[in-house]
Amino acid sequence: MKKMHIAAALTASAALVLTGCSAGGTDAGSAGGDKIVVDMWAGSQDDTAALEAQVAIAQKANPDLKIELRTAPWGDFFTKLTTNMASGNMACVTGMNSGMLSSYTAGFAQLTDEDLATAGIVTDEFADGALEILSNKGDVYGVPFDMATMLTYYNADMLAETGAPVPADGWTFDDFEATAKAATTDQHAGFGIGMGGFQWQALPIAKAGVQPVKQDGTLDLTNPAFVDAATWYGELVTEQKVALPVSSASDTGWGENQYSSGMAAMAVDGTWNAVGYLDNDPGFTAGMAPLPAGANGSLGLVLGSGFGIAQDCDNKEAALKVLGSLLSVESQDYIASSGRSYPARVSSQPLYFESLPAEFRDQVEAAFESAFSNVQGQYVTDNWSKIDTFVQPQLVSVYNGQESMENVLKTAQSQFGK
Amino acid sequence: MSNGTHTPRRGALAKSESRQALGFVSPALAGLALFTFVPVALSIVMGFFDWPTVGEKTFVGFDNYVKLFTDSPDFWPALRNTFVFALLYVPISVVMSYLLALSLHSRIRGRGALRVLFFIPVVTPMVANVLVWKMLLQPQGLVNGLSQTWFGIELPNFLADPQWAMMMVVMMSVWQGLGYNMLIFSAALEQLPESVVEAARIDGATGLRMTWKITVPLTSPSIFFASIMTMISAMQVFVQPQMLTGGGPGNATQPIVQFIYNQGFKFQELGLAAAAAWILFAIIIAMTAAQFGAQKKWVHYEH
Repeated sequence: MKKMHIAAALTASAALVLTGCSAGGTDAGSAGGDKIVVDMWAGSQDDTAALEAQVAIAQKANPDLKIELRTAPWGDFFTKLTTNMASGNMACVTGMNSGMLSSYTAGFAQLTDEDLATAGIVTDEFADGALEILSNKGDVYGVPFDMATMLTYYNADMLAETGAPVPADGWTFDDFEATAKAATTDQHAGFGIGMGGFQWQALPIAKAGVQPVKQDGTLDLTNPAFVDAATWYGELVTEQKVALPVSSASDTGWGENQYSSGMAAMAVDGTWNAVGYLDNDPGFTAGMAPLPAGANGSLGLVLGSGFGIAQDCDNKEAALKVLGSLLSVESQDYIASSGRSYPARVSSQPLYFESLPAEFRDQVEAAFESAFSNVQGQYVTDNWSKIDTFVQPQLVSVYNGQESMENVLKTAQSQFGK
Repeated sequence: MSNGTHTPRRGALAKSESRQALGFVSPALAGLALFTFVPVALSIVMGFFDWPTVGEKTFVGFDNYVKLFTDSPDFWPALRNTFVFALLYVPISVVMSYLLALSLHSRIRGRGALRVLFFIPVVTPMVANVLVWKMLLQPQGLVNGLSQTWFGIELPNFLADPQWAMMMVVMMSVWQGLGYNMLIFSAALEQLPESVVEAARIDGATGLRMTWKITVPLTSPSIFFASIMTMISAMQVFVQPQMLTGGGPGNATQPIVQFIYNQGFKFQELGLAAAAAWILFAIIIAMTAAQFGAQKKWVHYEH
């Protein structure tokens, strides 16, 4: 009898532990059945609510499936994704960003034309180059819901107060310097220097007309044109003194924060923040223009985020259907009309501009149109995130005059370019 | 054999009792196995593999360890940074919190409130602590602002200068951890045996002599405990540099744990991260063992 009790106790406790564990496993979503988990980053309640609305649209289109949304803030999302991939718990439909894809291709299934047809995606309905956003070396790993590029944002009040020339479509790097110089006073800097990969590289890429990586994925940080342009960028702080030096390598959003808190007259940031800057907290009048043009035009990168399918997803067909409905006209119209981001679907794009307050509408539309007219997919190496992680804290030394930009790029090239 | 010494009846009872006990502890044991033994064993195994997040895992023997010691540009600097941090942080933190506990030991007014004040940084989330320190230390911050208005001196960009950045990480950590050790020392000081203290007083011991010859030896077990725990936490330092300096400028303040974190979660080289974690573990065990060895010379236990 007693033995029976012990056995029962052991089984019960083991069952408890195991179910506790496997509950986590099923939650993770790649398990079979009719449940499809959508995993996406969301930094705020607004973000989550918007995602819930899109999932509701997908749920309506697929009544026989149970769609579950899982979110994490941007930074944690990729850490969690790493662990989920390692433990085989990646959600069937997982969010991905163009800049991060190269590190995570192993977890995503390559999407064939047949897959896209199953999802109900007609590529012609998306903007030119949209399918490049979540592609790596020619293979498609996901379909974007939005597209973005970098813009110059300016504080119109500050420019008016200092009499600095206002950035406009077709402006050059000389114009940029003139504006930055004129807008620099004791109270505020003319420009907020960038720390994030997209933010700091945007102007050097535009000025040089080349990316620091070649199309075939080889690292090209020491390309003379890029080195010159990057050196010029660092000297905005050290020589021209139109930007304040970064105070710590952990200030990853330095330039943008300087701008949005009214400490700098200009900053470079993605189109994804356009709406946020237009109704900023300090209440200044924000404006935007494309990146300035150098001798080689004004090259920009087309970036964006979207959804892909996990490689180990048991129910790929259902997952594709969910992916398709998350990118359906209705869902894209929702994203656009809420002004959250600039949709990848061409027919939804005008709704984005219509969602903006009338006084900004024309300016934003003009800036977007011009900025998106000269873009290229971002070339990345397989170890791109390592390079980003290496360069970022080194930038602090560059901006504080303790290290030269050329040295940093050379070191990175020799360390990661093998 | 044990059956020979016990009566069979007792033996049966003990056996059934221990079986029942096993039933009761099995949930805890299962938890321990699942969340402690398995990950520990797995991390040993991982250290010998090229273990990407997804895809083929290949056995590489000691390659990860060799790579760390000979080929990784950030490993040695990270190890050096951790040692520099520990060497500065542990003595300063232990000595200062001991002095603080001593000065709050005498019956001064409001010492309870003071203790709470000194303990607040320990319970405040690190994010908030770091935010305040950043606001103090950045070039547009309070410290530089005051220095410029009062003395007209422009201070360095503390968190962006390789030397100053480490100093500031240590300083913030000392400030943050002071209250915890102070509490340990305060508890020890409250329990000083009256008889010994009184005997010393009668013998004419006062002031510094009293502190150095009586109080410190009597509280040496607490000092030992505090210095071991502080040393271990110093070797594992992560949040302070990660948030205050981002490990920079360059890799000037990147400690070994941040190196491990980057390898594992940013670069997805789990094998390399596991190997580095075991090197750190070996160092901590060796240092703790050395401290335990040395304690015979200076730690006095009341028997």
